[in-house]
Amino acid sequence: MANLLTKRVVYYLLTALIAITFILPLAWAVVNSIAPNSATSQSDGYGLGNYGALAVYGEGLTTYLSNSVILTFVAVAACLIAATMAGYAIARFTFAGKGLMFVLVLSILMVPYAALLIPLVVWMSELGLDNTLVGVGFVLALFQLPFGTFVMRNAFESIPSELEEAAKLDGCGTFATFMRVMVPSVKAPMVTVGLFVFLNAWNDFMVPLYLLGPQNAPLPLAMVNMRQQVMGVIDYGLTTAGVVVLAIPAVILFLALQKYYIKGLISGAVKG
Amino acid sequence: MTRSTRLRTGVAALAAAGVFALTACSDGGDGTDPGGEPAEEVSGEGIDDGTTLTMWTRAPLERQAVNAVEAYNSSHENQVELEILPNDDVEGRVGAAAQTDALPDLLAGDVVRIPYWTSQGIFQDLSEQIQGLDTLDDLQVGHIDAGTIDGAQHTLPFVTDISVMVWNKDLYEQAGLDPEAGPTTIAEFTEHAEAVAGLGTDGVAGSYLSGQSGGALVFTLLPSIWASGDEPLSEDGTSANLDSGSALDVYEAYRGLAETENGLGAGSQQETGATWTAPFQEGNVGVMPYPYTAVTGLFETADFEIGVGPIPGVDGGESTFLGGDAIGISSDSENAPQAWNFMQWLMSEDAQQEVFADNNDTAANLAVLESGYEGADPRTAIANATVEHGRTPVAVHFNEAFNAAGSPWQLLIQDAVWGDASTISSHNEAINTILAQ
Amino acid sequence: MAVMADTDERQVVPHRRSRWSRTDTLRGWAFLAPALALVVVFFIVPVGLVVYMSATDWTLFGGFTAMNFPQNFVDIASDPMFAKSLEFTLKYTVLTTVILMPLAFFLALLVQEARQWNKFLRTAILLPSALGIASSSLLFYALYSPQVGPLNPILDSLGLMDAQQTILGTADGALWATVVLVVWRFTGYFMLLTLIGVQAIPGDIYEAANLDGAGRLRKLRSITLPMLKPTIAMTMILSVTGSLLAFDQFFILTKGGPNNETLTTVLLIYKYAFETKKDLGMAAALSVVVLLALVIINVLQLRALGVGRSEEK
Repeated sequence: MANLLTKRVVYYLLTALIAITFILPLAWAVVNSIAPNSATSQSDGYGLGNYGALAVYGEGLTTYLSNSVILTFVAVAACLIAATMAGYAIARFTFAGKGLMFVLVLSILMVPYAALLIPLVVWMSELGLDNTLVGVGFVLALFQLPFGTFVMRNAFESIPSELEEAAKLDGCGTFATFMRVMVPSVKAPMVTVGLFVFLNAWNDFMVPLYLLGPQNAPLPLAMVNMRQQVMGVIDYGLTTAGVVVLAIPAVILFLALQKYYIKGLISGAVKG
Repeated sequence: MTRSTRLRTGVAALAAAGVFALTACSDGGDGTDPGGEPAEEVSGEGIDDGTTLTMWTRAPLERQAVNAVEAYNSSHENQVELEILPNDDVEGRVGAAAQTDALPDLLAGDVVRIPYWTSQGIFQDLSEQIQGLDTLDDLQVGHIDAGTIDGAQHTLPFVTDISVMVWNKDLYEQAGLDPEAGPTTIAEFTEHAEAVAGLGTDGVAGSYLSGQSGGALVFTLLPSIWASGDEPLSEDGTSANLDSGSALDVYEAYRGLAETENGLGAGSQQETGATWTAPFQEGNVGVMPYPYTAVTGLFETADFEIGVGPIPGVDGGESTFLGGDAIGISSDSENAPQAWNFMQWLMSEDAQQEVFADNNDTAANLAVLESGYEGADPRTAIANATVEHGRTPVAVHFNEAFNAAGSPWQLLIQDAVWGDASTISSHNEAINTILAQ
Repeated sequence: MAVMADTDERQVVPHRRSRWSRTDTLRGWAFLAPALALVVVFFIVPVGLVVYMSATDWTLFGGFTAMNFPQNFVDIASDPMFAKSLEFTLKYTVLTTVILMPLAFFLALLVQEARQWNKFLRTAILLPSALGIASSSLLFYALYSPQVGPLNPILDSLGLMDAQQTILGTADGALWATVVLVVWRFTGYFMLLTLIGVQAIPGDIYEAANLDGAGRLRKLRSITLPMLKPTIAMTMILSVTGSLLAFDQFFILTKGGPNNETLTTVLLIYKYAFETKKDLGMAAALSVVVLLALVIINVLQLRALGVGRSEEK
């Protein structure tokens, strides 16, 4: 019995330690962003000085945040529309070229991000999308398209076709059936895909680095730009405050939708 | 439903437009056009007609650039809109804009990058206008030379940033040195630094070096080589001579300090430039070459006394690195006469006085430099006096050879000061290869 | 995106018709149109363009001037930085994968039972996955700084380094610092993927093994590991691919320094384009090299791990 108890205690201690290791850096960032530090905007006592400095840094925090929101919104909307419709087409219709199209979409996974950015620097301006948030949103949507299409195809395949037949008998057209019957029944996988795209777009750094100027920078890029001062001292207070601001929406969404997320992944992955 | 249909049509149209544009793009490259023709005839004072001008500069010189733009905007019809680029991204942004004909009217850039930009046709030829300037003879020439290619001039000085020797008078006193006498030779520099190092105070070092920042290293070390009478770069900027006798003496002095306990501040070898001004600022460094723009703010805030002097050569002499930004009118600008109005205004004595001298910043106009700092700190006069001995290295591939992270110049210093000093010549060869391409 | 290796065996969709109908074709393509537009405009054209650019003299400032195949590839091969970056990228990839995979696997087994405490554990380990690589890198950049970071004094008191030194200042320091960051950021995600695989193993197999009196290790070796093969293959590919393409963490933490000791191949693409060579042709050529290498590596991995069949219908 005693042996079992010791084992229990060791187990809890060990696992608690693991949990702390993963949480600690984030907790440190939160504390550091409000803690006093020389050469930051919070030089004595605890307070929100660094956040105040962040609010007016560069183009202003609101500009960077709204840049982030716009490009994330475009990415999520574009990916959800494209992936849901494509998933439906692949799951429900039989026609020439659909296998090829599916493989084509999946092959995006094989091509590294980095390889597309050099041509995109040139190509975006041909499209009239250079230095635009919408353009970057589309690029980020593209990179999540394979995952999105895959999950949505699986989701539609798991819906019994009787549902659809019934709607058709009621006189609904293809598109109406899709919107009124099919989309509502794949809400959970759509949330999963949306969350995935959100996290990726909200956090992405490399695509904006290549394709956006400082005034259109989303928050991650703006934070890195701030770090790149030459012949000056880096303001770590500002940096950690920026990290916290970036983390808040991502962590909240992540925690709130964790169930969806894991379920969605499981249904996407395991469902035969 | 309608919304979705519309979006679909939109995207399809986009795709079609894209395919069409690609065909246009493959034969659309128009190559380089060094020193493109100005869009309109520009002369004299240019035009001040209420045009909105766009302008780019880089983050380290934001304060001075804002001063200049605000002074111009409040006294002219034309209005300049300033965009600040992160230092490391400047090259990429300017390049991308050059690809797409989206350069701003006025483009200011790190003076060491100007020769490359000029050679790539980024700027309009302003020879005639510059020759017509009343104040031309008073202007420091480094920033004009940087933008001169085959005799054609493209740029004027925008913000001047110089390097000076600074020392901590409090530490000098503690170490038994004369706090009013800074080093006048490299031997004295070493001697002073060693004396401060000998204090054995925790965290205090004799000197400091930004070992991983090629930019900071040229800014601090090249003046000593110039002051010794050697030329680190050939006149046309296509070869380097960084293993000359005086260069080796300068490296050797720092190597000696690196081998002395507390000789060079801890972290010197790994310093990427991000925090290289901090240790002196915090009172932990005895003596080191330093950017003057970073000292003026310290006169009042630092809790120790600061000495300022020129950077010496091996056996005396003095020099400084005339850094900062030069400015030109981009080849994409359709408002050249208006942009010229800004440039010629900035060169005037009044503007130089108001924008730079009154803020303790270094003016590009030598007359102002001499007479405009009456009420200023006496140390500013010392710093300003070094400008006439100052130099700006001019080489088309300077950035790649010196400033870029991991450049052969950075590796040269790493080996010369901390590593295998016998490799200096081979690093010099690597720099030559880049400069000559 | 990661999940397709798991689903080799698909059920036949019940309503599939025996031959293509014209309306189906029309509707199918109508529904595919948005995805098709995205793929054509932002994928197919850029892939074509990168191949084209790799064969041209295309500078950042001057644009296209002439075709010059294979000059860009020759230039890359003769650049000592290229070999150096390859070596470092491989070293980093091996190191990350070797640490990340077993750790994620171990943690997945540790938290697999659905208990309240385990749910908390999972959430804690998963939390860093909500952060982007860029913001994680910025966070660790501050953590590693001698000015505000708590690590310098700790390492100093352990006698591992001088408190005045910078963790990112030495080649080994920078490498390990980045590995720690990546492990922190990705362990949760890989654990989750493994967990999904573990939970898909039917419970009755274990029950049968229990009846046969098999021990824990035996079950792990004979049931869990073989059944997890597709999952392991997938996480492995993700880890290898992700590490080979590492960019953000090095761009932010080290810029390839000190002295080019942490230069990854993808960082070199950026440097070719915007920093040293300012040559989009060379950058495109290196992009093509990376692209081809990645396709080959992925195919080889899939083969070696016995997951030869790709999604196709």
